[in-house]
Amino acid sequence: MQANVGAVSTAIAQEARSHRDARHDRLFGWLLKACALLVLACLLGAAGATLWGGRHAFGAFGWHFLISDAWDPSSDTFGALVPVYGTIATSLIALLIAVPVSFGIALYLSEVAPPWLRTPVASAIELLAGIPSIIYGMWGLFIFAPFFADHIKPWLTNYLGNKPDDGKLSWVAEHVPFVGSLFGSDYPFGASVLTAGIVLAVMIIPFISSVMREVFQTVPTRLKESAYALGSSTWEVSWDIVLPYTRSAVIGGIFLGLGRALGETMAVTFVLGNAMKLSPSILDPGASIASTIANQFSEAAGLQKSTLMALAFLLFVVTFIVLLIARWMLRQLAHKEGR
Amino acid sequence: MTESAAAGIHPQSAATPTPIAPTKLKVRDLHFYYNGFHALKGINMDIPEKKVTAIIGPSGCGKSTLLRIFNRIYAIYPKLEAKGEIVLDDENILDSGYSMNRLRSKVGMVFQKPVPFPMTIFENVAYGIRHHEKLSRADMDIRVEQALRSAALWDEVKDKLKQNALGLSGGQQQRLCIARGIALKPEVLLLDEPTSALDPIATGRIEQLVEELKSEYTIVIVTHNMQQAARCSDLTAFMYLGELIEFDRTEQIFTKPTKKQTEDYITGRFG
Amino acid sequence: MSSSFLYTRRRITNALALTLSMFATLIGLIFLAWILWETLRQGIGALDVKLFTKITAYGEDGGLLNAMVGSLIINFIGIALATPIGVLAGAWLAEYANRTRLGESIRFLNDILLSAPSIVLGLFVYTIIVLPTTALTSGNTTFSGLAGGVALALIALPVIVRTTDEMLRLVPSTLREASLSLGIPQWKLTTQILMRSARSGIITGVLLALARISGETAPLLFTAFGNNYLTFNPMDKMSSLPQMIYQYANDPGEGLHAIAWAGAFVITMFVLLLSLASRLVLSRNKVSHD
Repeated sequence: MQANVGAVSTAIAQEARSHRDARHDRLFGWLLKACALLVLACLLGAAGATLWGGRHAFGAFGWHFLISDAWDPSSDTFGALVPVYGTIATSLIALLIAVPVSFGIALYLSEVAPPWLRTPVASAIELLAGIPSIIYGMWGLFIFAPFFADHIKPWLTNYLGNKPDDGKLSWVAEHVPFVGSLFGSDYPFGASVLTAGIVLAVMIIPFISSVMREVFQTVPTRLKESAYALGSSTWEVSWDIVLPYTRSAVIGGIFLGLGRALGETMAVTFVLGNAMKLSPSILDPGASIASTIANQFSEAAGLQKSTLMALAFLLFVVTFIVLLIARWMLRQLAHKEGR
Repeated sequence: MTESAAAGIHPQSAATPTPIAPTKLKVRDLHFYYNGFHALKGINMDIPEKKVTAIIGPSGCGKSTLLRIFNRIYAIYPKLEAKGEIVLDDENILDSGYSMNRLRSKVGMVFQKPVPFPMTIFENVAYGIRHHEKLSRADMDIRVEQALRSAALWDEVKDKLKQNALGLSGGQQQRLCIARGIALKPEVLLLDEPTSALDPIATGRIEQLVEELKSEYTIVIVTHNMQQAARCSDLTAFMYLGELIEFDRTEQIFTKPTKKQTEDYITGRFG
Repeated sequence: MSSSFLYTRRRITNALALTLSMFATLIGLIFLAWILWETLRQGIGALDVKLFTKITAYGEDGGLLNAMVGSLIINFIGIALATPIGVLAGAWLAEYANRTRLGESIRFLNDILLSAPSIVLGLFVYTIIVLPTTALTSGNTTFSGLAGGVALALIALPVIVRTTDEMLRLVPSTLREASLSLGIPQWKLTTQILMRSARSGIITGVLLALARISGETAPLLFTAFGNNYLTFNPMDKMSSLPQMIYQYANDPGEGLHAIAWAGAFVITMFVLLLSLASRLVLSRNKVSHD
């Protein structure tokens, strides 16, 4: 009887503890979930805040906003075309340079380099990704832009552009359409769309190349070995086996780099020249969405501030879509891997 | 055939071998499904108190699955479902009203790989106790020492109780896990291939420990190693493809199995 | 004849491609060396004690003291906000929502937040903190170190969420089973056992997040704004190293450029040391579970 009572009271105590544990578990679960939902709230909030802030601009300019190259704070007329063009142009130039270079780096580090060299070189390249963008900006402004103005730009304007120093058009400028105006410039300084594109390329190379290297390493060895056994060369294995096998993830990596390039502010602001004027030449200064916001937001008021918010909304939506594609593409390979 | 028929083994249910002790765990018509796959098909067995019951069978036969139902650890994963009854001291532990705390304090479990917590040796044992009971500092010391002694580990660790448990050898870690389990004073101890990650010497020590522990605990051990089952169990259950084929006294199973499949497995024709 | 021609062409293509890949790697390394070299050269050349003792109000004769203090405070706020939230959110992804639809979606969106443009996050914080407080204080624009810290927290958050999630998922599930089979509830298991197991991984994530935010400039421009005087009050306008570098670099004064380089050098060293430290912490962790 005594023992029975003891057992029953233990059982009751255990029951109570079980209930308490279950309650704590539930509360803890809610707390954790709330924290996780904050991630969602950040994204929605950022989109919502910029859309709300830009409502006056969207209301005042309508769809015309997207195709207008006007930018006149004195008459409160604004269009998104110049910064949108600058953002896209610098990012595309960055990709044109960064993708082949990154592919080369990934190929070298996964197939060509002697094994003892791979880890140190890969870490060094990854170090590039860790350097803050403001440092890229400083380097771009004080070192690279002058170098570009002295050594690269004259060559481009004289041999490819339609505004050469001596007034004599080169054969290319005369006969190949668009090239002349693309490289024609009489702006004497180093800041330009092309300069910004190059600096951006350097910034995104480590991102793209490390994604590529990682996915190249997921290719099953037997697949590569069977190709080598058929007498394929290293290049053929990489181009015909490795690249098709990893295609979606490689595209994902490229889009990841594109997402970075589109939203990058500091590095671009320093070397783009901040001219709110549309020019056909990539050797002329321009403006990107991020650089325009960074330069003008603090002093802007009224409709100009709203316009900058609207631009931020556009930037956010576009990068969101690009990054969505990137992550989705990267996930394809992960699924193939069964991870 | 004749002998086991006399011992009362029903060909299908195989539930009751010669009664050598009162029943502690009564399994009745137990079915288990994961993701729709029918993993256990109508298991019936009576596990006797304070004896060692071994479950053997080829991989994938469901022996670990069965063990993991005895303390409902399977329930932490989604899409797993058990149907039937497991009666422990007159109560069905599969009943949703049966409290987890109660079950887990009554049924302890030791896993394949030793998994010490990332804490000191002392804390490893004390951590679980602290969740179930409020003990004074001195009582806790005694409890931890008892548990470590029962697990035959005390002499090796008594001078380094404050050191991290991850510094112990594999065999010591596994005995620490056993100590951690018995510190809660469970009634049933489940061992899921406890020696598969250990070397022969450490394995020998664990087997010896199982022999000593059975005077106080009802032990169910899943093992890959038939010699181990033969050495340290009183009863042996043979499972195949989710069914309990044969369940009898160990020497019976290993000397005169009644089923062809059991015999084939024991003589090494498959598995 | 034609087969040997084909063979030669294939061999040449191969050699060419491999040489180009080596050049690509060289290009990457040259730019790395170039950037680091200039930062070191210009930065060390401009290093001076007054950098650490004088404030920016003195211009070319001043230092960066207020900016360094501001950076420390803003980064601290950012990490202090992002760490608990990020660790708990990561734990939810790994322990509670692994393989659920909502969990997968949030993990996916977190990866997107990881590379979202920081300037937009800055505008978001401007809208939710600076604007309302401005309205409350009858129109004086209330930029503050706190707002800057919140902006940086939003940038640090996804880094911490992701590393915590990944590190917790690396903890063997047997540890979960062992704890639960002792009757230990999920919340204790998560906070006292799993997080302890994954501790160095989680610390690595925090260090990486700190490295990431300590160079951030764009979101601070319209949250913390800047301040030429030393302040410890987080409700005050506050300067930070990157913001000061940005301001000085855009100034025509040569003397300010030198100070900006010195600031750039300090930040670069800080960030590189942090990433080195995080690697060390992670490599030491490798012993605990096999």
